[in-house]
Amino acid sequence: MIVSWNWLRQYVTLDMSPEALAERLMMAGLNHEDTHAVGDDLAINVEVTSNRPDCLGHIGVAREIAVLWNHPLTLPAAAPPESGPAAGELAQVALEDNEGCLRYTARVIRGARVGPSPRWLTDRLATIGIAAINNIVDITNYVLMECGQPLHAFDLAKLAGRRIVVRRARDREKFLAINHRAYELDASMCVIADAERAVALAGVMGGADTEITTATTELLIESALFAPMSVRGTARKLALHSDSSYRFERGVDPEGVEWASRRCAELVLELAGGELATDVVDVGQKPPPRTPISLRYSQLQRVLGIEIEPKQVEQILLALGNQKLRADANKIEVVPPSWRADLGREIDLVEEVARIHGYDKIPEDTSVPMIPSHRTRMDRVLARVRQALNGAGFDEAMTLSAVEEPWSDAFSPWTTAAPLRSVMPILRRADRLRRSLVPSLLGARQTNEAVGNATIELFEISHVYLPRGQGQLPREELMLGLTSGHDYRGMKGVLEMLVAALNPSAVLEARETRQTLLDGQNSAELWVKTDGASEQLLGYLGQVNDQGLATFDLRLPATVAELRLATLDSIAELIPKFQPLPIYPAVSRDLNLVVDEPVLWADLARTVSAAANPHVENVLYQDTYRDAQRLGPGKKSILLTLTLRSSEGTLTNEEADDIRARVVEACRRAHGAQLRGPEVRPSVVRRNL
Amino acid sequence: MALREFLSQLDELGDSAEQAFGAAADDAALEAARVEYLGAKNGRLKNLQKGLATVDAADKPAAGKQFNEVKSRVESALATAQARIAEGARGESLAPFDRTLPGPRPRLGHVHPLTQTIEELKDIMGRLGFSVATGPEIEDEWHNFEALNIPRSHPARDPLENFYLATAEAAAGAALLLRSQTSTVQVRVMESTPPPVRIISLGRVYRPDTADATHYPMFHQIEGLLIDEHATMADLKSVLRLFASSFLGEDVHIRFRPSFFPFTEPSVEVDMSWHDPNQQGGVRWIEMGGAGMVDPNVLRAVGYDPERVSGFAFGIGVERVCARRHAVSDIREFYRNDVRFLHQF
Repeated sequence: MIVSWNWLRQYVTLDMSPEALAERLMMAGLNHEDTHAVGDDLAINVEVTSNRPDCLGHIGVAREIAVLWNHPLTLPAAAPPESGPAAGELAQVALEDNEGCLRYTARVIRGARVGPSPRWLTDRLATIGIAAINNIVDITNYVLMECGQPLHAFDLAKLAGRRIVVRRARDREKFLAINHRAYELDASMCVIADAERAVALAGVMGGADTEITTATTELLIESALFAPMSVRGTARKLALHSDSSYRFERGVDPEGVEWASRRCAELVLELAGGELATDVVDVGQKPPPRTPISLRYSQLQRVLGIEIEPKQVEQILLALGNQKLRADANKIEVVPPSWRADLGREIDLVEEVARIHGYDKIPEDTSVPMIPSHRTRMDRVLARVRQALNGAGFDEAMTLSAVEEPWSDAFSPWTTAAPLRSVMPILRRADRLRRSLVPSLLGARQTNEAVGNATIELFEISHVYLPRGQGQLPREELMLGLTSGHDYRGMKGVLEMLVAALNPSAVLEARETRQTLLDGQNSAELWVKTDGASEQLLGYLGQVNDQGLATFDLRLPATVAELRLATLDSIAELIPKFQPLPIYPAVSRDLNLVVDEPVLWADLARTVSAAANPHVENVLYQDTYRDAQRLGPGKKSILLTLTLRSSEGTLTNEEADDIRARVVEACRRAHGAQLRGPEVRPSVVRRNL
Repeated sequence: MALREFLSQLDELGDSAEQAFGAAADDAALEAARVEYLGAKNGRLKNLQKGLATVDAADKPAAGKQFNEVKSRVESALATAQARIAEGARGESLAPFDRTLPGPRPRLGHVHPLTQTIEELKDIMGRLGFSVATGPEIEDEWHNFEALNIPRSHPARDPLENFYLATAEAAAGAALLLRSQTSTVQVRVMESTPPPVRIISLGRVYRPDTADATHYPMFHQIEGLLIDEHATMADLKSVLRLFASSFLGEDVHIRFRPSFFPFTEPSVEVDMSWHDPNQQGGVRWIEMGGAGMVDPNVLRAVGYDPERVSGFAFGIGVERVCARRHAVSDIREFYRNDVRFLHQF
């Protein structure tokens, strides 16, 4: 809302500097945007919050100033002389749409001369950025900006049947607005019509057919109360917003309708001459009386934390236009003014007193009692996850929660249910709430590839949205998504490290999975097991196949993974217990076992561990060799290092060799493994000696 | 054995060992020489040591002393030769070492700047006794609007101002939408917890803003909530002052400007003072966020008695704080995830 300095002075003495005015208004609720000079006037732009439509006119702002500086507020009388026949004899008003229009008033002026406005009026409007049209239109704009009540003047002679009908528009009814653009209406919109057609969009804009021209002599002045929802709906649908619709949407003063009409007539008589018909056509409801509000003085201390003198409380409330019903030592009871629909409860009066008294009076050094707070377990887990992944060279990404359809369809390992969709896309075409973080991360990968970033190692911690069916909120599950330029094993190593960082005893198991995005071989469903707990599904891992790379417009190989944080949380051992360090040295033995291709490392390692029990400390995978000529077709040779240690004494070479022999025999029986290479190759692990 | 004979054999062994070690050209030759002279089982020194036993008892101290001297001479000759051979292996060419060559740098990943800001804000609020609470991002209208004193007629409920979900339930009147503020979490906590309450709720929120340098349709909010028997606006101001002072690392002041939010009454915009030497008076006020006393309608909606308890709430936009802190001029960068951007923080 732009207010004119000179205009405000009509209602209240401005004996402060414009800077002081702007500052004080800001601290009372009217944020100052800027001030600039227009001729010899100042245009002061203040931001009016949606609960204060009373400040969408100069009188409202002047009232705030009067209260803040304790100055008197002077308002025009708005008492134009009436004469001749009654308005009701010159024009009829029928109110049919009671939902769209609560009250409609019409005044009639005959014999007015349409022409240019005087300088003072065009200056006022120029300051606030409104172009002058003619004296009648300028006056309606002036009164709108004076008190916030939108008005419209019709050329009465052009109203068919000299009749106003407030009704719903007919479906597909045509309407030419004063902006000379044609609109097609529908039955949800409230219009002002004459006997034949719509002549104005209620509360939004007048029509071209009945607008004021230099030939106009008979005026019908509309001052009405249109329903906020109706005006908002019409303005939205037609994308037609005006100073009028802006005010009706926020609510105008129901008691101000009559005053604005008289004020408008008064100015027309003064500036355009003519004769105001006796009385007013006034249809619809009279505003209901306001309910009184009690303010207990003790509530000020209770809510604000400061004492304010009852005398001062009363002064503030009355200056704002509240009417006092009664007061005693404990409370004051008032009726709020008609222009303050936002005042209805005790707490509303507390706020009024506080903002006028000044929030700067509220101290900022009370002592709030100390209480303990707890970091959630999940927060601790997440901190470890981030630390581990940062150490592995992964950067944390943050991507949009929604994706477009092809991305959404690309990967969804957690559910087969269709993704949730938003009515409007969140961004561009992204209207699918994601069921996996992986597609978004591949999108981020593409962004990085496009700018030539060589190393792209990303993770994200965020929710996926898994539909749960009718009437229920979806399951929002926290996931850890990852993408890397490394291959399957490179990424698997990172995940093994991550799991070990949360729980060193956790064992990761990779099982076959079928995912359309991933390579059939280099992919896995991951399960995790910890001591004394049953195994849990952890997530998925795999290299993106060629078709997948094409979907995301990627040129370079990419591996992805997605893990359930709920599983990571459940295995995390945040406060580990000390394990005594071994006193005796470890002994290691390398084994080169030739097995058939289908034998899996995980199975072989399990057999090795079991056979070497209880002295096995570690079974370390080293390498796989394939050589059809030396090993035979369909065979592979797996090299591993077995680390042995006893808690009871140093293992001798002989003991270690015995265990090794047991292992070889167990592998032969379980997997048909044959030992290859030198029979004995002891290597003492010296670092422990 | 006579002492003289023993000593002369000792000297000869010492000389010949030094010569052999000195002549060894590589590891293998040196190892052979080592086994010959210092071998544990059959080395010449070991054999000579056996002769020590045959020396007259009276001469034994002198013989033993000399034996130890020669032994350490031989060992030191071996060490010298080992060092010489190792040095030779390393320095085939005698090119000088370039100590300015870069080391192989391990790649260190970075935490997203928004996470860094969130963690710091959480940390500070934690010290002030606020525990973290979370809740769903997809909400019903009760938690996103009704319980927050936002009636159906309020412009904030316009379908164009929110991301409603396209579901069959929406048609049946049970509309779901992406939450437009994290106050939903406060409602959920209050519904399930008797007072007192001291929490911060945080997470993603969604509003249909066109993406530009200062707007994105998804952003993060942190909201604090304190409910107690005697919580006042003075407490709100004091908590915010402690919070801002902790965050900025200097003593700041808090300013309230009246504002309007449906879920608080009174409602205020919060500014904090910022020392700015370029500014007249040396102090600049910068916007921190919105705050206020929890509206009695909200307290009633969650089953609290507004006559018994009161409380305050405040909200901070994480992107704005983070962008100002790191001088990021376009908040869309936070969601592009260009590695070069992420590596700056």
